[in-house]
Amino acid sequence: MTRRRPIFAMALLLLLATLPVLTMPTSALQLSDRAKQIGHKFMCMCGCNQVLTECNHVGCSTSADMLKELNQSLANGGTEESITQGFLQEFGTKVYAEPPKSGFSLVAWTLPTVYLVIGTLLVIFVISRWRKRPATKPAAGGVSAASHVSPEMLERARAQAAKDTED
Amino acid sequence: MDVFGSFALLLAFICALYAFVGGIAAIVTRHPLLVKSTRQAGMATCALIFIATFSLEYLFFTDNFSIAYVVSHSNRDLPTFYKIAALWSGMEGSLLFWSFLLAVYVFSVLIAYRNRNGELMPYVGMVMAGVQLFFLTLSNFVESPFKALASPGANGVMQFVARSDGNGLNPLLQYPEMVIHPPNLYSGYTGFTIPFAFALGALLAKYPGEKWIHLTRKWTMIAWMFQSLGILLGAHWAYAVLGWGGYWGWDPVENASLLPWLTGTAFLHSVMMQEKRGMMKVWNVWLVFCTFLLCVLGTFLTRSGVVSSVHAFAQSNIGTWFVGFIGIVLLVCLGAYLKNRDYLKSETQLDSVISRESSFLFNNLILLVSCVAVLTGTLFPVFSEWFTGDRISVGAPFFNKVNIPTGLLLLFLTGVGPLLAWRKTSTESLKRNFGLPLAIGIVAGAIFFALGYREFYSLICLILCVFVAATILLEFYRGAKVIRARSGASFAACAIDLTMRNTRRYGGYIVHMGMVFVFIGLAGAAFNRDVQKDMRVGQTMQIGQYTLVLQGVDTKPEKNYTAQRMLVEVLRDNKPMMMLFPEKRRFVTNQENGTMVAIYSTLKEDLYVVFAGENPETNLPSIHAFLNPLVKWIWFGGVMVVFGTIVALLPNRRAVFVLAAAPQRAAQPLPHALSPSVTLREGHD
Repeated sequence: MTRRRPIFAMALLLLLATLPVLTMPTSALQLSDRAKQIGHKFMCMCGCNQVLTECNHVGCSTSADMLKELNQSLANGGTEESITQGFLQEFGTKVYAEPPKSGFSLVAWTLPTVYLVIGTLLVIFVISRWRKRPATKPAAGGVSAASHVSPEMLERARAQAAKDTED
Repeated sequence: MDVFGSFALLLAFICALYAFVGGIAAIVTRHPLLVKSTRQAGMATCALIFIATFSLEYLFFTDNFSIAYVVSHSNRDLPTFYKIAALWSGMEGSLLFWSFLLAVYVFSVLIAYRNRNGELMPYVGMVMAGVQLFFLTLSNFVESPFKALASPGANGVMQFVARSDGNGLNPLLQYPEMVIHPPNLYSGYTGFTIPFAFALGALLAKYPGEKWIHLTRKWTMIAWMFQSLGILLGAHWAYAVLGWGGYWGWDPVENASLLPWLTGTAFLHSVMMQEKRGMMKVWNVWLVFCTFLLCVLGTFLTRSGVVSSVHAFAQSNIGTWFVGFIGIVLLVCLGAYLKNRDYLKSETQLDSVISRESSFLFNNLILLVSCVAVLTGTLFPVFSEWFTGDRISVGAPFFNKVNIPTGLLLLFLTGVGPLLAWRKTSTESLKRNFGLPLAIGIVAGAIFFALGYREFYSLICLILCVFVAATILLEFYRGAKVIRARSGASFAACAIDLTMRNTRRYGGYIVHMGMVFVFIGLAGAAFNRDVQKDMRVGQTMQIGQYTLVLQGVDTKPEKNYTAQRMLVEVLRDNKPMMMLFPEKRRFVTNQENGTMVAIYSTLKEDLYVVFAGENPETNLPSIHAFLNPLVKWIWFGGVMVVFGTIVALLPNRRAVFVLAAAPQRAAQPLPHALSPSVTLREGHD
């Protein structure tokens, strides 16, 4: 009887230690390739800002439920369109992983191209202006006539800067 | 100690206020005593911030659970290692930590230039004090880390109380990298304050724009290095802890750290145009201003909760303060620029479109377009809610589509830029420099295609990586060959000698090579595979050439958490290789869960095994295994980027030697390839 006591105590201790782990929320769910492909087009709605199939936000029950819903819809013969509509009704447009290419969201898709075009035009403009600029020695000034700073003032400022920042 | 820390923080605020207001008075009156006293007030501010920070750390180490911040972010069983990290795990502590790191920089600058740059330093000191003043205002009056814990007593009057234990640290932060990732990232954010202070100071002092660049180059590079390291450590943390199989999810907080890195990188390149040709003075000033503002914006995004993120560990309604600060800084920068812009005129002309100058312009364009596109995507959910009432999410697929092409363009310029000559590049030079690397790149592309790497962007990326690596290696080879002809030493020794003769140029090449490795790693992402399976003990699953056998599930009680661990045997081609132990952790104090991924990493691929929990339908443990090719190259590339930056910060060996031995060596002619104008003077990349 006395020999059994430590064994019993150890077993109880192990059970107590395991208890929190056994009560962990779990979310394992196996997805088909089709489910993964469709799931990649939606965001997890738990607020983690991750794509649904990539959310492994520890203890995230939202992604588990959404993936389960997705899997079940596919198993019941649901199409990508019907699944999308279902999620849209449930969560609104924020469920999309990327902005749809219509309406106000088009702005998000167009802006990077606009930036690139404007930037390129700007670079071309700068290059052509630099090409046209007459070659002058920096010390001789070269400041435009409209400038409030005369070449002498600029030279003085340069000399002062050189003096101040001597190492 | 809490009163002591709180008092130190208040005194720091008063000193910073004096350094700022007194600094303005010193600039106006130019009174030497006032200049000296404001500089000393600046140093006192830093010392007091150090005291306040160490006081808060002391409260963590001594488990002082009468302080609200300590209660919220620590507990008795929390390992000492993580009690250090608890300092920046919440809003109040992280703001104090911002001030602390900024104080380290400010103190270093004030000490380093105490007897130099007499006219410029009052301006610089005043700007630095202004930034410190903002963060000290937050720490003193908005989010104090020294608030005592209180609760209403029986009579309804608030009474100080102390808890027996704290709530513990967020499980996601209980990982070794979380002790070094935030300090690095914050050192990057805060470090950009120094070039900002010099740029604004120089503009206010009407400096024509050449000298502040020289003074701040090393500070900018240090900040950039920390920012790069911080981003990479953050990516590695996300990879090893979050367990989704990736390292970069285009999360708003990740994006926030990338934005100043992009503008900082643009600045480090365009600054050479100013040093070498006296061009882009206005552009450089604004790049520094924008980099600093993006650092503050990054902190705002992380702290305000305006965008949701798994990385935003500390959020509150502090956003208004940041918006106000960003607005004021922007107005001051704009005012200073409009008033003194005539001092920033460039005089030099561009001789040819095919030149280093043009490549830098396009490099800046790509970096800036990337930055603005990422910023737009990050803030688009907020804008869409303002304009339409609907919040539209912008996730990783959008950012990948927008940024992969620009990233590839940038990679191409990384190879092209350094090989173009300043002013003008001849056709012969183009053929000589690019012929071989281009051929090597095309041959490599054909080999990759034959090996089955046919995903368009990945294939292009790998071809460009080989091309860029070839251009860099050829540069080292050509330089080392000249030295070898004279010294007869080995190629490796000659390459080291070459690097040390012009650390900035060859350090830069090492950084570029590091970026090539990072891009190789990124190209691998297109070929990621994953399998998830419920497993009984003894069952197997196959992924690539690996067979995983579940040998058991056990429980490992630790001081601060209890781990459920999978014992997974890995076989390659049916030969036993090793055991992997992916874990799920349950933290005792806050009843939160954490995960610990098991990774077997090689240069070819990572076997990444996650304990995905228990399937509620089968009650069986589930393994989620990923096979991620080439990931290790990213971390290796990151180390190389940091190493290259350190090399670029070193003084040129030869320049020192030549100065010391000038009389003896004056008569010896140098070979053409090592003429002083090309390799010996600092500032020539």
